[in-house]
This record gives sequence, C-alpha cells and structure tokens, in this order.
Amino acid sequence: MTLLDVVLFLPLVGFLLLLILPKESSRMAALVISLAVFIVSLGLLIPYWFQYPSGHTFSTDIQWISYPPIRYHVAVDGLSLWLVLLSTLLTPIAALVSWNYIDKRVKEYYAFLLLLEFGVIGVFVAMDLFLFYVFWEVSLVPMYFLIGIWGHERRIYAAVKFFLFTMAGSVLMLGAIIFLYNRTGTFDYGQIQGMIQTGSLVFDQRTELLLFLAFFGAFAIKVPIFPLHTWLPDAHVEAPTAGSVMLASVMLKLGTYGLLRFCVTLFPDAAHRSAPWIAGLAIVGIIYGALVALVQPNMKKLVAYSSVSHLGFVVLGIFSFTQQGLDGAVYQMLAHGISTGALFILVGFLYERRHSLEISAYGGVATAAPNLAIIFLITTLASIGLPTLSNFVGEYLVLQGTASANFGWAVFAAVGVILSACYMLWLYQRVFFGRATESLSHHMPDLSRREWAVIVPLVILMVWMGSFAQSFLPSITVQNAAILEQTKRLRIERVALPARQTAEVSRANR
Amino acid sequence: MPIANFLPTNADYARFLPELILTLAGVLIMFLEALRPEGKRTHAGLFAILALALALPAALLAKDGAAFQGMLVIDGMGTFFRTLVIVVGLLVVFSSTDYLRGENQESGEYYALLLFSIVGQCVMVTANELVMIFIGLEISSIASYILAGYLRDDARNNESALKYFLLGSFATAFLLYGVAWMYGATGSTNLTEIRRSLISGNAPPEALIGVAAALIFVGLAFKISAAPFQGWAPDVYQGAPAPVSAFLTVGPKAAAFAVLLRIFMGSLEPIASRWAPAVWVCALATMVVGNFAAIMQSNIKRLLAYSSIAHAGYVLVAVAANSGTGSAAVMFYLAAYAFTNIGAFAVVTYISRKGERYVGIDDFAGLAQRQPGMAAMLTIFLLSLIGVPLTGGFFGKFYIFKAALDSKLIWLTVLGLLNSAVAAYYYLRILVVMYMREPGESVETLPPAGALLQIAVYGSAVGTVLLGIFPSLILDFANRAAIR
Amino acid sequence: MQLWLIPILPLLGFLLNGIFGKRLTKPVINAIAVGSVVLSFLWVVKTLSALGAFSGGLEETYKEHYYTWIQSGALNISVDFAIDRLTAVMLMVVTGVGALIHIYSVGYMSHEGGYYRFFAYLNLFMFFMLILVLGANFLILFVGWEGVGLCSYLLIGFYFLEKFATDAGNKAFIVNRIGDFAFVLAIFLVGFHFNTLDFATVMTQVKGMPIEASAGLFTAISLLLLVGATGKSAQIPLYVWLPDAMAGPTPVSALIHAATMVTAGVYMIARTSQIYLHSTWALDIVAIVGLTTAFVAATIGLAQNDIKKVFAYSTVSQLGYMFVGLGVGAFSAGIFHLMTHAFFKALLFLGAGSVIHACSGEQDMRHMGGLRKYTPITMVTLLCGSLAIAGFPYLSGAASKDLILEAAYEHAPWMYWVGVFTAGMTAFYVFRAFFLTFFGEYKGKHAAGHGHGHDDHGHGEHGNGEPHESPAIILIPLVILAALSLGGGFINIPHFLEPIFPLQEGEPARWLEYVATAAGLGGIALAYLFYVVSPGLPESLENTFKGLHTLIYNKYYVDEFYDSTVVEPVVGGSRQLLWRIGDVRVIDGLANGIGTTARGLGGILRRAQSGYIRSYAAWVIAGTVLAIAYIGFMGASR
Repeated sequence: MTLLDVVLFLPLVGFLLLLILPKESSRMAALVISLAVFIVSLGLLIPYWFQYPSGHTFSTDIQWISYPPIRYHVAVDGLSLWLVLLSTLLTPIAALVSWNYIDKRVKEYYAFLLLLEFGVIGVFVAMDLFLFYVFWEVSLVPMYFLIGIWGHERRIYAAVKFFLFTMAGSVLMLGAIIFLYNRTGTFDYGQIQGMIQTGSLVFDQRTELLLFLAFFGAFAIKVPIFPLHTWLPDAHVEAPTAGSVMLASVMLKLGTYGLLRFCVTLFPDAAHRSAPWIAGLAIVGIIYGALVALVQPNMKKLVAYSSVSHLGFVVLGIFSFTQQGLDGAVYQMLAHGISTGALFILVGFLYERRHSLEISAYGGVATAAPNLAIIFLITTLASIGLPTLSNFVGEYLVLQGTASANFGWAVFAAVGVILSACYMLWLYQRVFFGRATESLSHHMPDLSRREWAVIVPLVILMVWMGSFAQSFLPSITVQNAAILEQTKRLRIERVALPARQTAEVSRANR
Repeated sequence: MPIANFLPTNADYARFLPELILTLAGVLIMFLEALRPEGKRTHAGLFAILALALALPAALLAKDGAAFQGMLVIDGMGTFFRTLVIVVGLLVVFSSTDYLRGENQESGEYYALLLFSIVGQCVMVTANELVMIFIGLEISSIASYILAGYLRDDARNNESALKYFLLGSFATAFLLYGVAWMYGATGSTNLTEIRRSLISGNAPPEALIGVAAALIFVGLAFKISAAPFQGWAPDVYQGAPAPVSAFLTVGPKAAAFAVLLRIFMGSLEPIASRWAPAVWVCALATMVVGNFAAIMQSNIKRLLAYSSIAHAGYVLVAVAANSGTGSAAVMFYLAAYAFTNIGAFAVVTYISRKGERYVGIDDFAGLAQRQPGMAAMLTIFLLSLIGVPLTGGFFGKFYIFKAALDSKLIWLTVLGLLNSAVAAYYYLRILVVMYMREPGESVETLPPAGALLQIAVYGSAVGTVLLGIFPSLILDFANRAAIR
Repeated sequence: MQLWLIPILPLLGFLLNGIFGKRLTKPVINAIAVGSVVLSFLWVVKTLSALGAFSGGLEETYKEHYYTWIQSGALNISVDFAIDRLTAVMLMVVTGVGALIHIYSVGYMSHEGGYYRFFAYLNLFMFFMLILVLGANFLILFVGWEGVGLCSYLLIGFYFLEKFATDAGNKAFIVNRIGDFAFVLAIFLVGFHFNTLDFATVMTQVKGMPIEASAGLFTAISLLLLVGATGKSAQIPLYVWLPDAMAGPTPVSALIHAATMVTAGVYMIARTSQIYLHSTWALDIVAIVGLTTAFVAATIGLAQNDIKKVFAYSTVSQLGYMFVGLGVGAFSAGIFHLMTHAFFKALLFLGAGSVIHACSGEQDMRHMGGLRKYTPITMVTLLCGSLAIAGFPYLSGAASKDLILEAAYEHAPWMYWVGVFTAGMTAFYVFRAFFLTFFGEYKGKHAAGHGHGHDDHGHGEHGNGEPHESPAIILIPLVILAALSLGGGFINIPHFLEPIFPLQEGEPARWLEYVATAAGLGGIALAYLFYVVSPGLPESLENTFKGLHTLIYNKYYVDEFYDSTVVEPVVGGSRQLLWRIGDVRVIDGLANGIGTTARGLGGILRRAQSGYIRSYAAWVIAGTVLAIAYIGFMGASR
C-alpha cells in the first residue's frame, strides 16, 4: 500500500461515494475529493525532488489473478510521474469548470469524472500489460458518457464515433498482448522488456512488425495520428467543456504515452524500421491539422485540429529516437496538456456567456471583458510556442532532436510553427478585436472569481514550464535516456554524409 | 453374472442426487397443482427455488466417479456444468415469478417444466454415453418446447414453440442418426470406448467416423444456434416469454456445449484434424451472422437473440482451439455469459411488462433518469456483452482468444476481435437510448420492480462483476475440470 | 555586475503597470514606465563604465550565468547574459533612444485610451529587446527575438477596434514567423553540429576552422539566419509588414519600427559574423539583398503621401544600407549606421508625430503644408533629421553611410553606384516630405475628426483646426535627438568595434565621399525645385510617367502578389481540398463507409431470416451436407 495506490484508488472511492451521497452535495464532494487526490499526488514528487531515480518508485506488485498470472503491478517513473500529476491537477479544474455549466444529472456527471480520473491514472501507472489494457478500456467508458449525456446537439454521434474508433484500435492491441503472453508466460512489462533486452525473446521481423502495428494502431487512434484523427474534432465540439479538457489534456496523452512506453521499447527494431513512415504521418498531421484549423468556423473544432497538429510534434519527437526528441515529446505532452486544456476552458467561458461556438458570433470581446482577453492571449501565445511559455520548450527540443535525426523532417515540421501563429492569431483577432455589438457586450461579463481560480494555476504553469524547464526536465531526461538505451539496437544513422564530415571537423577543432 | 452387479449402488444415487431432487420436486409440484383450488395463488415458485437450492449443494458436493455402469460420469466438468445450469435455473425462477403474475398465468406447470428441463441438462452434461446424451437432450428439449409456448393464447408464443419443436426434432434426428453411425462404426456408444477404438490398432475407417461426427455436430450445433443452423433462434427467443428466452439462451446452450466438449475434445480428439477446421469455419460464420444481423434490430429481445448467436460463435472459437485452455475458456465464458444474459433478459422482462408491450429499444429511452439502479445494472450487462474489462464478459473473451492464440488460430482471433468491436456498436445503441434520450411513455409509466426480479437482476450483476474482478473464482475450477 | 537588472527593470515596470495599471493615476504610470527605462539606461551606463567600455576597456566578452534553462542530453542551454563592445553599442542605443521615446510618449499619448496598456507593452518591449541584445546564446537571443515580435504585434494592433490595425499586427507577426522559421532551422543546424548554442563557443570553434571547411554547412546556416533577419529587419522579400506596421501609435513606429527592433536582424548577423565569413557567398547575398531593398524601398518612398509611410519606406531602405555594410564585410560600418539611423530616424518619426499631433491626427502630407509658421521647433529638429539622413556633410548620417558606400566600392563598384543613386533618392523624398509639410500654404481640413483614423483617438480637443506646436515634453526628446543626429557621426563606432571587427587598412579615395555627398545635395535641390519653386512640376511628371508612378505608388503590387500567390491558395486550398474533401469526404467517408457496409450486410442477413421453417430447414440440410462433406471426406485430404 504505497502513496501511489492511494492516488490511484481515491478517485474510485470518490466515485462510489458520489453514488451514495445526495445529489446536492455531489459538486462539492467531487471537488474536494479531486483536490485531495491532487494534494496527495504531489507526494509522488518527493523522490524526484533532489535526485532523479531512473527506476520505478512507489511500486506495488501483488497477484490479482492466479492463472494466467495477472498482477496488480503499478509504479511511477520519471515519465509517468508528470502525466499522473497532469491528470490529478486537471480533474479538480475540470470539476470547477463544470460548476455552473452542468445543471442536469449533476451527480452522475461528477461520478463519471472521478471514474475517468481513476481510469487514466491507472493507464499511466500500470506496469502489467494486462492491467494496462484493463485501465485503457475503463477510461473509455466514462468519457463516452460524458460526451454522450452532457454534450451538445450531435453528442450521440460523437460519443459513439469516439467509442468505436478507440474500440476498433484496442481490440487488436488485446490480441497482441495475449500473443506476447503466450510467448513469454507473463504480462509483466518489466519482465518482457528484460527478455527482449537480454535477447531471450526474439521475434522474426514479420511477427514483430505485426505486433508493433497492433499496439501502434491502438495508440495512433488515441493520439490521434493522421489519418485516424477525424473522431477528435467531433468529440471535442460535442463534449462539454470539462470533457474537452480531460480529452485533450489527458486522454490524448494515453496514446503518446503508450507509444513511448510500449511500442518503442517492446519492438525497437520494428519501431526503427517504421520510423520514417510514422514520422511522415506525424509531419503530415502537423501541417494538415494546422491548415484545417486555419479554416474552421467553430472555435472548438479549431482547437481540436490544433491538437492534431501539436501531437504530431510529440509523435515526431518520439520517432526521432534522439534524446532531445524524446525529452521534447514528453515535455510537449505536458505543455499541450496545460495550454490546450486552458484554451478549451476559455472557449468554454465564452460559450457560457454567448452560447455559441461559432467564431462569427463574437468580435470585440476585448472591450467587454479585458481580463478574459488577456488570459486568452497568454494562452494563445503559449499554444503557438512563444519562448518563455510552456510549449516552446517542447517544440524546440522536438525539432532540435528531429533535426539531428533527419534535417528534412525538421524543415517540414517547422512549417507548423508558422501556421500555428496564423490560425491562433486569426482566431484571436476575430473573437476579441474589433468593435463589440450591443448584445455581445451585454452578455460578456469579465472573469468571475471561480473562473480566475480555474485559469490562474494553468497560466502560472505555462510561464513556469516555459521559463524554468529544469524543474521538470531532469527526471524525464533520465527516463528517456533509459528508453533510448533500450531501443539502441540496430540504430540506423540517418544523417546526411557531408553534414557528418563537418561535424567531425568541428569536433576535431574543439 | 449376478443381477446385483446391475443394481445401482448408493454411491450411484448420491452422484445422481441433484437430478433426483429436481425430478421429485417437479413431480410434486404437478401433483399439488392439480389439488390447488381455483383462484388460489400457487407457491410452486418458492417450492422450485427450494428444490434448486437443495440441488445446488448436492451437485457441488457430488463425488467424482462413474455412475450406473459408467453411463453417467461425475467429473470436474460435469459438476461445473451441473452447478451452472442449476444456478441458471434459480435465477430464471426469480426473474419469472413477477412476470407470470403480471400475465396472471402463474401456475405450477411452468416451474415443473423448468425443473424437468434442468434435469435433462444435468443428464446431458454428466452423460458418458451417446444414448444418455440423447435422452437428456430430449428431456431438456421437450420441456423447453412447451415453455417456449407457455402463454397458450399468445400467438407469438405459439409460433415460437412450433418452430422450436419442429426444427428441434428435425435436428435431433440428425444427432440420433449420427449416434447410430457411430455405433455402427465403433460398436459402442460409450464415449470412453469410442475413443479407445479410435486409437486402437484396428481403427474403423476415418471417413465413417467423420460422417458420424458431422451428424452429431449438426445436432449439437443446432442447439447452440451456430450458423448455418441458427435460423430458428431469433424467432424463438423473440417469441417466447422473456424469462423463458433468458433460460433458452443459456441453459440448453451450456449443456450442448458440455456435450460438444465431451464428444469432440474427448472421444473424437484423435480425428481433430478433421473436425477442427469445420468448427473454425462454423465459429467465424456464427460470429459474423450474429453480430451483423444484430446491428439492424430494433426489438431488444431479437437483438439479444442475435447477440446470443454471436456469443455462441465466440465459444466455438475456443472449441476450435481444441485444447485444455480451450475447454476451460468455454466453461468460464458460459458461466459469465449466463449471469450477463439472464440479467439482461431480467431487465427486459421488467421493462416489457404485461403482454410484452415495451420491447423496442426506444422503450428504454431515459431509463437512467427514472430507474438509475436498473439502468446501471443493464449497463453492466451490456458492457459485459461488449467485453469491457472488470466484467465477466471481458475475461471470457480474453480466455477464449488466448486459447485460440495458444493453438495458433491467429486469423480466427483477429477476426473474432474485430467482430467484438462491431458488436460494441449495437450494444452501445441501448446505452445511448437509456442514458442520452429523454424518458418516453414506457419509462414514465414504469412501476417499481418486484423483489424477486430485483434479486435476479442484482444477483446476476454481482455475478458478472465478481467474475470480472476475481475470475479465478471460477477459472481455477474450470482449469482443473478442463478436458486434457 | 548584475546585468540582469538591465532587462528586469522594464519587466517590473511592465508587471506593475500591466497588473495594477487600471487602478493607477497617470503620473504614477508615467513614473513607473519612464522611470524603469531611465533607470535601466543609467544601469547600462554604470555597468559599461565599470567594465571600462568608455575608457578603452571591454576588449574581452564579459559573461554572467544565471541558471540552466534546458538540459537535454549533451545539449545545455543556460540563461546567460554577455557584454562585448557590440552589445555595448546596442545597449546604449536601445536604452538611450528608448528612454527618450518613453518620455516623448508621455506627452504624445496623454489623451489616448488604454494609457497604462500602452506603457506596459512599451516596457515589455524594452525587456525583450534587452534580452535579445544581452543574450549569450542563440536561444536566449531568440527569446528576445520572438518577444519583441510579440510586442510589435501588440503595439501595431494597439487600436484594436480598427480592423486594419489588427490586420497589420497579424501580418507583422506572421511574416516575422516566416523569418523565424528559417532562424530556428539555423539554430537546429548549429545545435546539432556544435552541440551548443553558446555564441562564444560556437564562434571560437568556427574561427578555428579553415575557411574552406564545410562551406556548405556554413552557407546553409548563414542563409537561414539571413532569411530570419530579412523578416525582422524588413528586407526583401519579407519587408511587406513594416509599412503596414505604421498603423501603430507614432512613438511605437519610432522606437520599434525604426530605432531598435528592426535593427535586430543587423545585430544578429553582426553577432554571427564568423559564420558568414566562413561561407563562400552568403555575404554577397546579404549585400545584394540589402542593396535591392535599399533601392526598391527608396523608389516606393518617392510617391507616398502618408508622412509615416514615407519614413517607413525610408527605414526599409536605410536598413538595406546596413545590410550592404554587413554584406561587403564592413560590419562596424553597418553597426555605425544602425546607431546613427536610430538617432535620425527616431527623430524623423517623433517629429512626424509632433506634426501629426499638430494637425490633430492628419497624416496625409497633401493636407499639411505651411506648418513652419505654427511649429517652428518641430521644423528645426526635423530639418536636422532630414539633413542627417540626406547625407549632409559631417552629420551623423553622412559619416556612417559614406563608410558603407566606400566599403561597397572596395567590394564591387556597381554596388557603390546603386547606393549613391539611392542616396540621392533618399535625400529627395525626405525633403519632399519636409517641404510638403512645412512650406507652402496650410491645406488642412478645419475639423478634428477625419478619415484616416490612426491617431485621432482623443485628439478632439485640439479640434479648433489651427495647427499648434507640441508641448515641451514632446519637444525635449526631439531636441536631444536632433543634437545626436547632428553630432552622432563623431562617435567613432568603427574604431570602438575594432577588437571585434578589424578594419581593413588603407584610406579609401576621397572622391567617393564627394560623389555621395553631391548625390545627397542634388536630391535636396531637386526636392526644393519640385515642391517649393514650382509645385506644378510633380503633377506634370506624374502624368507623363503615369504607368511608372502608379506602379511605385502601389508599391509594385507586392502585397497583392503575395495575397494571390500565397495567402488565398493556402486558405482556399485548406478549406476546400483538405477539410471539405480530405477530412469530411475521404476519411470520414471511409469510416462511415465501413459503418454502412456493416449495416448493409446486416440488412441482407436480416432478410435471409425469412421466418419460414422450410427455409431454416433448408439451411440445416445445406449445413449438414457441408459438414459431412468436410469432416467425412475432405478432411482427409489435409
């Protein structure tokens, strides 16, 4: 019974508690519980405060099912630690965001929110492939209901689409997991990993590729990687604000986390062999997502497509197989979680005032609600990767890493940096600048206390992550170094020859 | 030899105790029913519950070993299935009573027939003799034919019963014919003997055995509603009274699968290379037919009927695996499915009410807002049918596909997994209307559920979730009981 | 040495005004905004004198390390500040001119809405500009680089009620992003090949390498850096944003879009000069880009009527000169011109602002004229500025420009001649503006409100129509800058920078200077002839060269060209091709297609379910036959 178990199961307890508690108190209860979870989860930082252990911490490993041997094995490392904290931070925020937004079936709503937290934390900390899959599916259900019950007009279509896309991906992953078990006799990630490292477990190329793809498919849909992204805009547009926040900030990370934790380390050769293709898809996603975002008439759709673009960077970083690339990818996961989460929250604020997501319904908000405008501006700048704000560090490291892996990729990917400025600033101009119409300025009060409380922590984090990256990076770096070590075998040198020589020369002259 | 050798010993009776209890109870109920004055409510239901409650420990505690000169054999698998069908019986009785009262058709016969049918299934799952299997099958079937048409003056019931009867006997004929061939080929109807003769030096021509096996397979495939023999299932399950449909989708199927395991994985294992591929094809066809046909259904009973076809397909995948883990997977899956499906049908029973007015999927609209408890339970059952983790259905699928992969049935596994993804679609539709639509007329006029029905629903839910969190409860037993 | 104080002071100003400004009174806001900048100027002076910059010291780079920003693998990026003589010049210019413009703004913006917002932005700009100058590695420089871009975006769009203002803001930011795109690519190359971004380390490594070594790499880096510079410093092809940037308040145009930010590109190239020196032909390209820009911008400047537009194009043109200076290897001359230009161009803009102020916001020179009666001091100061830029002997502009031209002649005579011709044009359009404004009769509309709408906010109370001289707070900075424009040439920057940019020995021929001066004076004379002696002449000329005139009047239709070739295709293509077809039709079409096929199959199976016993029986038979055939007979074949 470690601190981690508490962090993991407290939300579940909360979920059950909410089912019992009377309707009226559910709001407050959910907020209190999720806050408690967050505070407790901060304890996970302690071992990472002064030095940066590369192994697992807070590990619990007890038998769950005797045969086949499925174990409840959870732990955090430098990679999952931050994602867990991201989840525990955003859940209370999501609860607070929904305070007035959700007026019907409040109890169920908050119950599902906590269940969702349980699911996602589980995914991040599960060290047993089977357990991982269990949480992976469990996290799916509450989000399905959150979208389907409390969403907008076409919510049902969106919810079902979301569920089926993910389901279709994950069943094959289940197949692959079982296959792995039949080969190894264990579901324990660490053991399987070890077998692969020691070479006691080897696949022929074809098998490895198929297994890799089975995992990759599941994660690629979740991320989502082009062209599997079309469920995302619908899901986001229809979901309630908090749903969008959790979806963008946390659930999409399940995919990228899976890529990094499982795809790359369990099937290094296949990963390396397919890296060019995946990088290609990622780059297409970066540019495609940005271009499509550019022409969206709907704010949430725009932000959703921007997510497609941003997560392209993450995938690209992972498959650059460089230290900077991986570090940047992880950092971008967190930064995107903060900035895009904040964007959805702010869009939600606008929606609560004007009851429209159409950009054309706005204009001149800056005069009516200056504070909202400023916060939105800061978030916008963070999301387009302005230095000293969160996303820049991630994007820079990803591109730096990619550039050293393959400069051509970096060139194309960097185009996304231009485009992000285009669509975000254009959005900002159309929503906030110009002269406000009578009706708009009437329905546009400035930020309320609650809204300040929701958004300020995120803004602080944007600046913090942007200016003091070292308070987050070291543990991540250590972990990624280990992952890179695991994927070292068969390293393909992808650097253009002349560049190599100059590199030699420059080193020679040192 | 002295006659005494043929007289059953006490041990035989002890091993046969559950059947005895149930039969006696059934007969007694009929008798009392005849004496019951007109208009006085019957207590047959409680009586049946009592009998089943008694039979349950008897089945659990029965010592392993052969009975009646090896006609029956009580082994792990036998015990497992006997227990299962008895539990099924219990749950069905619980979910029936309110329904019958609602139709004011409650009378002893119903319970008696139920008990007889269960007896038949008990015999099937313990029989080590083709003839005994046939007898058990007939006992079970004839009782269920009548149950299917229990509401005499309901047209759908009659149609259902008629179809079930005609096609049932049609298929049983194949089974019987197969038994005859088998006897002709091997000179025995005892499963152990048959196996021995197959592996013995002077084995009969394989083709001969193959034909016999094929005929027997057809007979059983019909009972488990495997494609292309599934035609009757939707009509029957839709037409029959909801609790009966629940029973039919679980009890007889479980028994038939037990027999399938015994005959094919047991006796006919030596010619597995012949029948396994056929099962492979049959499994795939069944999954596809069940799932894809279900997509279009708007009547929930019919939808669940097709879903039960699809699930038979999944189980067949494990049979095709033809291995110890395979048979264990079959057992676990049937147990999980039993809880899940009976639970689902129990909720349907509750919603449909007198004359089964409300059996459209849309009649579930807004259930979550008026009856959150019931909605939650149905959600659990549907998630289990989809195969979402922490429900029995998930582990069932998991073990099945694991067994399939063990036996290198890669493609069947992939196709099966994809099928289960397709299945999610039509189960989700029910969730959608329950949670995401505003309450309709059917839900608005919904009375609170009766106590017994609630026992059935919540009991099944507990079973489903328990198997989802602690599958070892049953799986360890199944593994020990597994053939080979 | 507490270098960090230099940028932090304006940052504090920004935070105070930004967060509490709404509740503060104007005097307090002024105190914070101006005070912070003046303090940081004083701190710069103190630091430099302490480092001995004024007394022949500071030969070596002085560096301070604060904390590690990003550490990933071998790559370590720290927040470091460094000062060498180049930085010293920049610091003086930025904080000095900056302080003056802050003071000026107090008077100029006194009637504006969003007063505190303006000063907050201005201070934020100072902060980032100083980061840019002080940054000791590529990434810190880039931080400032992006930051000043942001502030320019905010300040161009300061009047955010006007669409054209916010459009201009977006344009500036996005065009700059295109430049930054190349800049970051350069950074990646450096980071990958040197495993560090620290200027000192990289430059020493490069210095150590033989010139011919890996020219390819260095050419790539320097060209990418150049593209970045063309964005920030408004050179061809990315200069288009600067003229529009005049939508911002005039002090902004003076500070950001004339004196400091736009020169960042020049500074950056000078900072990375080692890399350029290792590239075989990157420097030539720099020079050619600069020269073309200088010439083209000057021609456009000839025909503009908006006084700020004239000076905007003049800025572009002057920046072109600086690039020529860098390109021909006279880095110190380029920096020298950077400084003098900061003086006289800031002066010209602020003077223009004073004029606009006098005419209640009018910016069209055709509605001015005869202002010498009303605004004598402004006129005098503007005269100094104009003379300086026109290259009048011994004034600041002449000193720096001649150095560049001489170096250009050394490099390639034709460059010199183009430069001289451009100088002539410069003199002409600057004095055209001067004469149109101050000579002739006042042609202003006698009402305050008017079409242009740029600076009309709050100028209403001067609406008596009579032009009027500006208050002292506006005039004092003008006077100081005028003095600098006159005497700035005697600050011997090239000598000061010698430790960094060694001068090529040998006196250039004197006549080069004379010709250049002559061109300047000629330009002035011509302007006098056209706009004072016989004002009818311009029209007749315009009519004779109608085509040419419309062409340059419309800035060669470059904006239109970009719109039709880049903007519209991208937007339209994304909407129609990618979104409506790619996403909706193709991808979703496929997904839904699977769904419909499934439902279709379901429908078929449903119909197969006829409900007739006979059909079911038939199926059973068929199945049986198959089973027997397979298990009984075919099975054997395997």
